[in-house]
Amino acid sequence: MKLSRTIKVAIALPALLLASISAYAHHAFSAEFDGEKPVVVTGIVTKLELINPHSWLYLDVKGPDGKVTNWGFEFGAPFSLKEKGVTKATLAPGTKVTINGFRAKSGKDFGYAVTTTLPDGRAVKTGGAQDAPTTTAGT
Amino acid sequence: MNSHLNRHWSPLLLVTVMLTLLAQPVLANEKIPRLANGKPDFSGIWQTTSAADYDLEPHSNRKDAPPGPGIVEGGVIPYLPQALEQKKKNFAERETLDPARKGWTLGVPRAVYYPAPFQIFQRQADLNLVPQFGHSVRTIHTNGTDHPRDPNDWWLGDSRGHWEGDTLVVDVANFNDKTWFDSAGNFHSDALHIVERWKFLDRNTIAYKATIEDKNVFSRPWNIEVVLYRHREKNFQLIEDYRFTLDYDQYYPPKPGNK
Repeated sequence: MKLSRTIKVAIALPALLLASISAYAHHAFSAEFDGEKPVVVTGIVTKLELINPHSWLYLDVKGPDGKVTNWGFEFGAPFSLKEKGVTKATLAPGTKVTINGFRAKSGKDFGYAVTTTLPDGRAVKTGGAQDAPTTTAGT
Repeated sequence: MNSHLNRHWSPLLLVTVMLTLLAQPVLANEKIPRLANGKPDFSGIWQTTSAADYDLEPHSNRKDAPPGPGIVEGGVIPYLPQALEQKKKNFAERETLDPARKGWTLGVPRAVYYPAPFQIFQRQADLNLVPQFGHSVRTIHTNGTDHPRDPNDWWLGDSRGHWEGDTLVVDVANFNDKTWFDSAGNFHSDALHIVERWKFLDRNTIAYKATIEDKNVFSRPWNIEVVLYRHREKNFQLIEDYRFTLDYDQYYPPKPGNK
């Protein structure tokens, strides 16, 4: 009886749950990203995934040698992005953006985006992990 | 003579009439549950007995699965050539790649025929489906609304239903590409679109059909069909089975100084 009541409460309070989900990242920043490895990356958006609990932005980045690499950056939850005015239209494929963030502990081509600077110059806080450093070397 | 026959036959006739009358309440019991507005009420705890989750296609047994006749109409999923290569790779590496093994949300339609119970809570405006596995609630809106104009890429898509007689027809769209259809590596892209048909066979049995299309992965739409049975065991209930965060437990609660 107790369990089924818990489930009913979970359904009855979706707004409360949503609030707590957007405030809590699904995993901690420190589980995947390195606060000692800030990165600043400029590239062309290839895809925005608006997925709970973390959205991901993929962009093609041209290196000093001219080689293009596809990077992925973890964003906050879709609802928190929407509150800041970030939708699929804001970050449509082909959009040029600059991201200040931290690199993955694995050293692979993905990271955590603290701020994203849009083509109109607006800088948006796009990260969602509550234990992430709030500034990077580039900001 | 006549009176003799009547004496002889009338008890039999009486029994026949009685049986006919008795049959009426039995049929009445077979009526399906309905909401106050007359629509079928699927509320309850349901589960398939099929081996669909091991492989949607017909398959013999293997070390990690029992055999099954499959639930795909025609037996074969119509993959595009490149997608078929991806499916074979998924199958070969299913032990590490299967999203369900990682504890991820099952997706649609996998949550319907995954071998664990799920519960339906139904109101006039919506149905809420709660699978035992994972931590998700799928809402099927039946209030006449359409898919949102600015959608996310949802794990369970966005479900909008309407009634065609006693059949609930559900259009599901706006998926991400992170879920599989089964543990054999059958997969889809974020262009997945599903049309489901839910219908009572009797008050304790649902016929579930779905048409699946995805222009990035399949050459044509294809159909599946499973039967769902109502759990009627005494005190049966869902027991939380949330596995995704097990690997992350060491990081909780988050610590600001933790690099």
